[in-house]
Amino acid sequence: MRAVVKDGLGIFNPQGFLDGTNTPTFLTLEDIQATKQLKISMLLVSLKKVVFFNKNGLDVFVKMMTEVRNESKATIGFCDYDAKKFQAILKFYGDDINFSLFKSQKVALLFAATNKEEKQNVLVYNDDPSQRSSMAIELFDNGHNPIMAQTKIEFDEKKQNKDNYNTIVENTFLGLYGQKIATRVTGNAIIYTVSNFLDAEVSETFDFSYHTNSLNVGFRLFIFDAYKVLSMNIHAVNFFSKLASTAAEYNANFVFVGMKFDKTPISFKEELEDAGFMFFEELDNILKDKELLKELGAVSVSSAKAKRLLTKSMVNELPRFISASVTTLEMMTNATAEKDNVKINELVLSKTEGMLASSIGFYGDMDGMVILILPYSIAKSSCELLLDESTDDIELILDSLAELVNIVGGRIKTLLADDDINISITLPRTYEDVNNLLDIVSNTKGVQVDLKFKEEKFTFFLTR
Amino acid sequence: MITSSEIQTFIEKIPPAPEVLKETIAYIDAGELIKAAHAAKEDPALTHYLQVLVNKPIYGFKSEVHDVSQIFGILGLSRSKQAVYNYLLSLLSPSSWEMFGLSEALFHELQATLSKRWQDILHHLKIEDKEIESAVIMTPASIIVCEALFKAHQDDVNLLRSYKDIDLSSILLKLAGKSVFEISQDIAQTWNMSETIMTLIKLSSGLHSHEDETLNTLGKWLHLLLFYEFSQGVYIEAGLNDFIAFNPEYVEEISDEFMELIYK
Repeated sequence: MRAVVKDGLGIFNPQGFLDGTNTPTFLTLEDIQATKQLKISMLLVSLKKVVFFNKNGLDVFVKMMTEVRNESKATIGFCDYDAKKFQAILKFYGDDINFSLFKSQKVALLFAATNKEEKQNVLVYNDDPSQRSSMAIELFDNGHNPIMAQTKIEFDEKKQNKDNYNTIVENTFLGLYGQKIATRVTGNAIIYTVSNFLDAEVSETFDFSYHTNSLNVGFRLFIFDAYKVLSMNIHAVNFFSKLASTAAEYNANFVFVGMKFDKTPISFKEELEDAGFMFFEELDNILKDKELLKELGAVSVSSAKAKRLLTKSMVNELPRFISASVTTLEMMTNATAEKDNVKINELVLSKTEGMLASSIGFYGDMDGMVILILPYSIAKSSCELLLDESTDDIELILDSLAELVNIVGGRIKTLLADDDINISITLPRTYEDVNNLLDIVSNTKGVQVDLKFKEEKFTFFLTR
Repeated sequence: MITSSEIQTFIEKIPPAPEVLKETIAYIDAGELIKAAHAAKEDPALTHYLQVLVNKPIYGFKSEVHDVSQIFGILGLSRSKQAVYNYLLSLLSPSSWEMFGLSEALFHELQATLSKRWQDILHHLKIEDKEIESAVIMTPASIIVCEALFKAHQDDVNLLRSYKDIDLSSILLKLAGKSVFEISQDIAQTWNMSETIMTLIKLSSGLHSHEDETLNTLGKWLHLLLFYEFSQGVYIEAGLNDFIAFNPEYVEEISDEFMELIYK
């Protein structure tokens, strides 16, 4: 059984019965190995479709997840259960519980180190005061607004006014928590939350691949939320300086908010300013100043990473890139693609109206970007497999379009691995307005393949 | 990946039940077990199948049973009919399995175990009905359907499922408008099986309900029984645990009773 990965969350979905005899067969050695290599901030086992479990059954998953946590610092635990199952797990493990329990995947996402949720009002209750506080702190760190109920009576009363809260967190338990630096996305800014003493360890808890991917897909504003930082030493200063200098070719902006220098030498601030960091007292000074936010986070096309030419090896692998994209689209739409023409030029589209686009970058033995531009109707039908129901909600369609491009990226990765070419793929980015994409790839040559799906045009563009 | 025309071709290729089997079933339905055994003996493969089936440990016979008349006598009317239907289904199963880690022997083992446990459930529920007793044998048809339709698309399925927890039946329904259970119903129809059997196939999916309360309850038991078996180590390894979606809410009201019966 393999984990389904979405938004940095890996989920196992066993069905039926979990006991000590059958559960080991859910996980082969290859499954465990593959899970350890996932780039995730949270690994959970969903109990949604489990009708019966005992401690021996859960232990098999706990053991495997603990190994993953020891290597990747990911948060581990179980999710999708009712009150009865929650109480059973607490009873099985008593004080030895060292994993987390999230009532649902929606609740788990609020606590995930990487989240793209908008700020949410979250009602929190747990009869253990330290659990309540831990949850509130984590939620706050992740950019949400936790509202704590101190007693069960208060919780039951508040719960009546459902409209006041986006999510209600109960029957949830935070075990030994992941150590990764929390990351959230607000508009076109990435916010990292750092706390306590910042020293050499910051480089171990910072997710470099996430950061690099964010730069590659066009994020230019990185905010370090440092309200809870007590002090930092020279190793941390060196880390931040290096981070800023390596992103200079992207013209990225780095900001500290809420950082106090009463216990940290003021000279460190000057050093960081020299490296390009800006300092603001309040997060809202940036987030609520739309003009400033736009200016700091804008994609600077001309100054972004220097444009590069396609390489011979990329052109050699072109059939694999096209095959990965076309077969994925064919699989998702159940239609056959017809190739119209192939040319090397700047991206030229006969029409942009009614089209959606998505891009995904790759790096490693080879680096570049695959762009897909497709009509709304094709995007909608190709995403239906990924959605539980047919929808016209553009946000949902763009979200599943990103997943579709992720699948294309995964397939390219697999196909190239057959030729011993190892690549990693970035976060996908989607464009409701294709003109924004055209701005980003202007003056950039690539291979453009025009295809037809069900008599509608679909464009594949490979560039660097 | 899979189109509705591929499904149609698959259904059209399902062979009708052989004359010998039709005759055997007709005699069983008429309560004529000796004549049924006589007809069954005309088909050596069926005879061999019955011999292997009835001598499996789950039936618990101390000495080996060989004669078809004796086998039918031991099994009785309902289970004899079930055994013939099981044989019919085995004619559809592939010679080598690719999508699922099954073998001919393991598939027969699954059929035998399901049949035996279904008997226990019906006994517990005090239900005596030949058609209902036979219903369980068509549920593994969905496995054969998936094997046949998806074996050429394994990579696509694996890739898709690494991004979304989606079962094969739902993929089929979304892409080609038919679930594996509906295709199993088509097979049952080709073999002139009764309305009760076809209804129970549908209900075993866990996605439907029925106005007849008894059939509705039986659908829940059947759905849970499938997942009890698919949770056994050997079938998890074969990939059967996640090929169709389990619906815990559907079986909630009977799960404690089921557990008591199975683990007693």
